[in-house]
Amino acid sequence: MLELKGVTKIFNAGTVNENVVLRDINLKVDEGDFISIIGSNGAGKSTLLNVIAGVYPVDRGTILLDGRDITRVPEHERARFIGRVFQDPMKGTAPSMTIEENLAIAYCRNARRTLKWGLNNKLREEFRQKLAETGLGLENRLNYKVKLLSGGQRQALTLIIATMVKPKLLLLDEHTAALDPSTARLINNLTEKVVLQKGITTLMITHNMEHAIKMGNRLIMMDKGQIILDIKGSDKTSLTVNELVGMFEQAAQRKFDEDRIMLGARS
Amino acid sequence: MFGLMVTSLEQGLVFGIMALGVYITFKVLDFPDLTVDGSFPLGAAVASIMIFNGGNPFLALCLATAAGIAAGCITGFLNTRGKITGLLSGILTMTALYSINLRIMGRANVTLLNSRTIFTYIEEWGVPHRWVFLALFIITAFLIKVLLDCFLKTQIGFALRATGDNPEMARANGINTDTMKILGLSLSNGLVALSGALVAQYQGFADIGMGIGTIVAGLASVIIGEMMLGERTICMATFATLMGSFIYRLSIGIALRLGFAATDLKLLTTVLVIIALSTPKIRNLLRSTSSTVSN
Repeated sequence: MLELKGVTKIFNAGTVNENVVLRDINLKVDEGDFISIIGSNGAGKSTLLNVIAGVYPVDRGTILLDGRDITRVPEHERARFIGRVFQDPMKGTAPSMTIEENLAIAYCRNARRTLKWGLNNKLREEFRQKLAETGLGLENRLNYKVKLLSGGQRQALTLIIATMVKPKLLLLDEHTAALDPSTARLINNLTEKVVLQKGITTLMITHNMEHAIKMGNRLIMMDKGQIILDIKGSDKTSLTVNELVGMFEQAAQRKFDEDRIMLGARS
Repeated sequence: MFGLMVTSLEQGLVFGIMALGVYITFKVLDFPDLTVDGSFPLGAAVASIMIFNGGNPFLALCLATAAGIAAGCITGFLNTRGKITGLLSGILTMTALYSINLRIMGRANVTLLNSRTIFTYIEEWGVPHRWVFLALFIITAFLIKVLLDCFLKTQIGFALRATGDNPEMARANGINTDTMKILGLSLSNGLVALSGALVAQYQGFADIGMGIGTIVAGLASVIIGEMMLGERTICMATFATLMGSFIYRLSIGIALRLGFAATDLKLLTTVLVIIALSTPKIRNLLRSTSSTVSN
């Protein structure tokens, strides 16, 4: 479905600050995969998603989506079939526009925008239903400006925006990292619900090992710009945090850096 | 006093069209566009040279608007394709337009006192001379305001607003933010040039220096309006801009009556904009210091 072949990304190439962020990445994602991605700081997780989304061009390699080479397709065109939720709740919504206007923008993601009204009552009703499903009480606040919402509400809204038109691929970049634990749980539940219900192929970066193990059907660990672990199926279901740390230390040939990654319950 | 009110209303409305243009770039697109200092006299130059040579003033207005749209496009291309910062792109186009405007007019000023302007036509339709300016400006300014309100509520209008509000979100939703910037800048400068074309006929001449300070006057109108009426909805924000333009012209009229020279006005305007822009910040600063003291 999504295939990366020999993808390499170098920042500041040819200078003293040269930094190889992605090193010859090969990855094949199957239709319906829900992959969680973990790794320490600077492992290249975010860059991987940004390269897939078209935020940065790659230095080498190709990216194929449904067999089509999208390596040179600009970001806004890829957005037609790639949904994204960012770590920063401010990034995914237009703050001085209303909830319904934000949703209306997402509604046109895959269509040609015209001089037709951006909103009508039929759309409002559809949005109201979609919001009601989240259980956040946003369905009665369609004409509230988004800047009035809390971080959690904005992330929930961003998730709805990203999946309004079913994307071929959903990219979640630590989308619960900036939230308090209970809100994060709520957004995680919503994420699982939306992703599984619609069967959306998803790549999710998380800094929480427990989430990474619990959510999704496949787990990828990155280190220094490379994929060092790729665990699927029953291997993943039976995985524990301790095992994962052990596997990391074996694969990366160094001690596990616990500063940023939350291990969760270590039983 | 009545005379002052009518004159301020006329000026507020005709310059208000320019202020609506500034609203598009400054508020909707969040783009500080200095092109307007060049596109305002550009509109005046195109319209006045046509009218001076006996051309149809309605056609002259259309061509002036088209010229403004082209100027906005150039700034947009410099910024998006040339990767030049927004501020500098506007300054470059503005500077180039100075020469272009002189080329168009062929001299530093063109008088229209003996030409058949759009007002000559309207008077011939039976509108009394006294009300001809006000009538045309009310209709034009409010027609443009309503059209702009409607446009900003269309699918493309949403895309334009999202581009100014959060470009990352816009791109993540398939919006080509470069195209939107070019679109917004062209629309804005089209309105500014139209305003310039009307002002030239209103005051009876076009002058190469008439664009100096256009952006500051436009900003003053947008900010004064926002302070007075707020910007809760688009409909309200555009009305506030027209209102701000009226208040701005009124205060200038009063300043002139108080004995300020016409040449002092740019300084007065600048001071006004500085006060308007910094008042909320100063107020916040005072509030935060006083609360620290009380703690």
